Amino acid sequence: MTEFNDLFIKYKDLITIAVYGTAIMLILIGLYAVLLKKHLVKIVIGLSIIDAGVHLLFVAVGYIQNGTAPIFSPGNEHAASKMVDPVPQALVLTAIVIGFAVTALALSLVIRLYKHHHTANIDQIKSLKW
Amino acid sequence: MNSLAIILGVLFTGSILTFSIDTFNRKLTGWTAFATLLIATIYFYTTGNDADFSLQIGGITLKWGLSAFRLFFINIVLILGVLALLYSIGYMKGKARLGYFYASFVMTILGMFGVVISKDFVSLFIFWEIMTWSSFLLIIYNAYYKIKTEGLKYMVFSAIGAYAMLTAIVFIYHFYGTFDIAEAMQKGVFSFENHAFIPIFLALGFAIKAAVMPFHVWAPSGYANSPMSFTSVFSGAMSKMGVFGLLLIFATYYTSHTPGAYVFTQILAWMGGITAVMGTIYALIQNDAKKLLAYSSIAQLGYIVVALSTGTKLGVMAALFLAVLHAAFKGALFMVAGAVEKQAGTTDMTKISGLIRKMPWTFFVALVSVISLAGVPPLGGFIGKWLLYEALITESHNYFLVIVIFFSSTAAFLYAYRFLFGLFLGQEEKETENVKEAPLTMLVPMIVLALVSIITGAMPGLIFKPAAVAMRDIGFSSMDWQMSTLSNVWGNNVDVSLIGAFIGIVFVLIFAFLTLKGRKTTRKVGTKEISSSGELWKEGENWTFQQDFFKPFERAASPLYKLKMNKIWEDLGNALEAFFNFFRRIYTGNGQTYAMYVVGFLVLLILFRDYIFK
Amino acid sequence: MVISPVHYIVAPLLAAFAIPLLTKLYKDAARVVPGIVLFYNVIISFVLMQQVSQTGMISEVLAGWRPPWGINLVLTPFTAFLATMISVLGFIIWLYGFRFKRTLKGGVVKHYEILQMMMVAGSIGVIITGDLFNMFVFIEIVGITAYSLTAFYRERNGAEAGFKYLLIGSLASTFLLLAILIIYTQTGTLNMAQIAERMAFVPHTMKVTALIFFLIALGIEAEMFPLNAWAPDAYEQAPSPTSATFAAVVSIAGVYALVRVLFTLFDVSGVHNYLIVMGFVTMLVAEITAIAQKNLKRMLAYSSIGQVGLVLIAFGIGSKLAVFGAIFLMLNHAVIKSLLFMTGSYFIYNADDKRLIGLNGMHKQLPYVSALFSLAAFAIVGFPPFSGFWSKFYILISASDQKMMYLIIGILLVTIIELVYYLRAVGRIYFAKEEMEDVAHRPSVNALVAMSLLALFIIVVGVYPDIVTGYLNDAASALLDKAHYIQQILGSK
Repeated sequence: MTEFNDLFIKYKDLITIAVYGTAIMLILIGLYAVLLKKHLVKIVIGLSIIDAGVHLLFVAVGYIQNGTAPIFSPGNEHAASKMVDPVPQALVLTAIVIGFAVTALALSLVIRLYKHHHTANIDQIKSLKW
Repeated sequence: MNSLAIILGVLFTGSILTFSIDTFNRKLTGWTAFATLLIATIYFYTTGNDADFSLQIGGITLKWGLSAFRLFFINIVLILGVLALLYSIGYMKGKARLGYFYASFVMTILGMFGVVISKDFVSLFIFWEIMTWSSFLLIIYNAYYKIKTEGLKYMVFSAIGAYAMLTAIVFIYHFYGTFDIAEAMQKGVFSFENHAFIPIFLALGFAIKAAVMPFHVWAPSGYANSPMSFTSVFSGAMSKMGVFGLLLIFATYYTSHTPGAYVFTQILAWMGGITAVMGTIYALIQNDAKKLLAYSSIAQLGYIVVALSTGTKLGVMAALFLAVLHAAFKGALFMVAGAVEKQAGTTDMTKISGLIRKMPWTFFVALVSVISLAGVPPLGGFIGKWLLYEALITESHNYFLVIVIFFSSTAAFLYAYRFLFGLFLGQEEKETENVKEAPLTMLVPMIVLALVSIITGAMPGLIFKPAAVAMRDIGFSSMDWQMSTLSNVWGNNVDVSLIGAFIGIVFVLIFAFLTLKGRKTTRKVGTKEISSSGELWKEGENWTFQQDFFKPFERAASPLYKLKMNKIWEDLGNALEAFFNFFRRIYTGNGQTYAMYVVGFLVLLILFRDYIFK
Repeated sequence: MVISPVHYIVAPLLAAFAIPLLTKLYKDAARVVPGIVLFYNVIISFVLMQQVSQTGMISEVLAGWRPPWGINLVLTPFTAFLATMISVLGFIIWLYGFRFKRTLKGGVVKHYEILQMMMVAGSIGVIITGDLFNMFVFIEIVGITAYSLTAFYRERNGAEAGFKYLLIGSLASTFLLLAILIIYTQTGTLNMAQIAERMAFVPHTMKVTALIFFLIALGIEAEMFPLNAWAPDAYEQAPSPTSATFAAVVSIAGVYALVRVLFTLFDVSGVHNYLIVMGFVTMLVAEITAIAQKNLKRMLAYSSIGQVGLVLIAFGIGSKLAVFGAIFLMLNHAVIKSLLFMTGSYFIYNADDKRLIGLNGMHKQLPYVSALFSLAAFAIVGFPPFSGFWSKFYILISASDQKMMYLIIGILLVTIIELVYYLRAVGRIYFAKEEMEDVAHRPSVNALVAMSLLALFIIVVGVYPDIVTGYLNDAASALLDKAHYIQQILGSK
């Protein structure tokens, strides 16, 4: 375990970059799917990927090297400085729940749309315009 | 409680009462409206109205009050309003939506009354708008197909005018810190020297209501298509609100001789002159009597605008005099047209003629009013024209405008004659065999208005007196006038009452003679029975002499007819709407495109962030 | 009587969970209970507003954690006023829709009523929360309920509108999260008062980036051009009471969120000009799109966007009078536009035609509703003596104080466009030839009461605006006084 920690410290910049980069890549991939893919389900997947990217970003921001879980326990009151920031994690939990609800709703709407228009191509679902 | 506020309250409740009473008893609707206005009028004339009434609303002081100048216009509004409402009772009988009609009618009068008593700009604007939308409701009364063009045209032009006023008003508040008209005037709000746009914007609002070219487009169809009983007020009184406002703006300039405004008054004068000529010319070629009167109304308002923009004492006097006279004779003429429409079913002059035997009293009113309109002695219209010419020649030396006005009022003879001849003289038609004289409620107001023309012709002093007081009120030095004598700068005096009496006697004699002569029996031939002189006559073709009545004149003036302001405005409107229709295609209906808008806008903001957020 | 603002949120939440159980006991519980809850909200609104006007501000902490650690609910005169307004309108809309779809089976109505109630409650939450992330959660609650309500009708194109709304709404929530993230990394807090306090130390680049994300995310909620394309579809396809709620409640909450963030959190110059320009563009585009509409509700939807544009302009001007006018306009817009949607719904119901042609000659079948529609149309255009005039007037005066002459002329020209299409609609109702003589679906008593209340408000405020100006004045100064806001919330440390 200590080896792993050493490795971690050694490449910490790299890992930070990797985590942030992954988050941003996820957001961009999601945006690509939302903006350019024509299939409704792919668009919904794109939305989920964006969400995942943003959540990852949140967690990355709140992380502290070698941090502990943000739990106060007796005899461990001085650990506050070493705790990872609990707020982003709380936020992410909430955001995940919301994202779940939105995705579920979106998929049900997609089903409804497919039944109504007999297509899942967003370019052909344009009965409301101007 | 202040009497002005009470009158406004009475009119407001009367309007609502009228609307609601219509659902219970349709016969009472008109009488309720009439009674409301009559009560308000009587109350107004029987109580002293000295104190101003002010009211704090939303941090703004609304101030209502009277002065001689305002009183002059209130007289026009209330008296013409009462007469027109009385007339409406007969005219509107049997028509649909009476509650709607009368409620809007009373609301319009409330608006006009409010405009005149407003001593601050905010209540002026409020009442101005009330007047506008309630009259809009009346214009569209007749049918839907008109709202798309005529009713809306009126509303759009009114809105342009009203919003120009509103812009001026908010800037008055910004620059002078007050909404009070008198206070703002003291601070030089209308002086044209600083912030010239304020008086110009205000004048634009008033000029549109006074149907000055090129903003007259709404007027012909607006006047012609609303119910005639309303048009008499619409043309007779509401257009005077424009005159009222213009006088309000320019009076300070005239009396204090600010240098800056000369150009504007000259422009206004020329606009008035052009209005007078073009209105007259267009009136000539109308086959519909209502349309003819509408254009004539525009022309007459042109005179008034010319008169008031001379800015001399005589000129303003002429404007005030003509304002009253125009209300009297044009109110009467629209009522005549309404009576003919009601009794004969149409006012198309190519369809009916020879109504003189069927409707002698209506004819009498039409005759008197037409004479007054054409400016022939001895009736009131002549006095007004006289004053106008004298003002233009002796005081403002604007000889070119004199020629313009002269041309216009000569041509006015032509259409005035056509109106009279087309409806009342000539052969009787088969279609009009069963036409009867209009009912009494319609005749009485018409005759009263005709009497105004006659009496003021003999004793113009009746109007000179309040007009002179009104002018002193807005800052002109006091003015000499006599009850029944006209004088000019060369020292000639003419006793108009004598001439009036003389001509009156001759007139009565001839009238009696003609009436007696007309008793002998003749075979009556309709105009449509005329033989076709060898030309092939198609079934249903109308060869009445009224067709192409002024063809030679029309040919001579043909270049002028090509100038169609109406078309220009309509093209502008259509082009705008086409553009709007094209533009809204940015809402493509594709959700993905919308998402791209969002992301694209984000990218734009990020790219230009340094320019937007410093 | 002391009531905590928590009741605003707790009562609807409890009711939302209780309704499915209560329907087992009493068949119509789904209809009645939301009304009770919303009425309860109205009562506590007035009590709280009274309290706020005495004490100046109520800052309620949740779960015993004081700010900046705990989540707090803040009632300033501004938020108290908006919360009251939304509660009252939410209740009136409930009253209007009380017999909505009563022929349908219970399940559908249950969903409708719960969602409707949660949408109102969520909007109130957006307004009264003092915490940025909490605001995000409430915006999402409003969003999810709104997507579902938009797709309420299976047989129409509801799903399409709902999906578009959801797509754009999800992007909004993403950007909002990113903005919150940036703010949190820079200031280390989510409490709005504390963020405002620490904002001065944030590097400019970060500030602007966060601001841009906020502008996009909340601009979507506030229907700002070009982010508003979802709105007309949603307004058009949603059930009419919901459309009224969108206009009267949801868009107000969106504008509030935008304004709160821009006015309290940020101190970036250029924001005001941005608001003025984008507000004007929003208004212009919306109105010129509205004039060509064939569908009544779609026309009203574009008109709503136009009104919001004017609100944004007024907030952009930023002087106290302008903010006063903006809040006044929000109030007027909420009331008048709800009335228009309510009356318009009856026209559509009777004509079986959602197009404007369906209005033709309606005054014969629905005289009272027609009169109310015309009244509302006149009021929204800004004819005196109706309430719409005053708000427009104050905004123009405030614009003239900043010497923005072209803005004034622009606003008034756009108003002329607005006037044209509203008067066309009124003309159709009264003067078009009637085609069918169906038996009218007359409005039910509860709907009549709801509509009459709104109409009464329009006339009374139009004739005597001082009834509301006092509250509006307090609200405007409360919004502008940022230092006081910070000090009141953090001072109680």
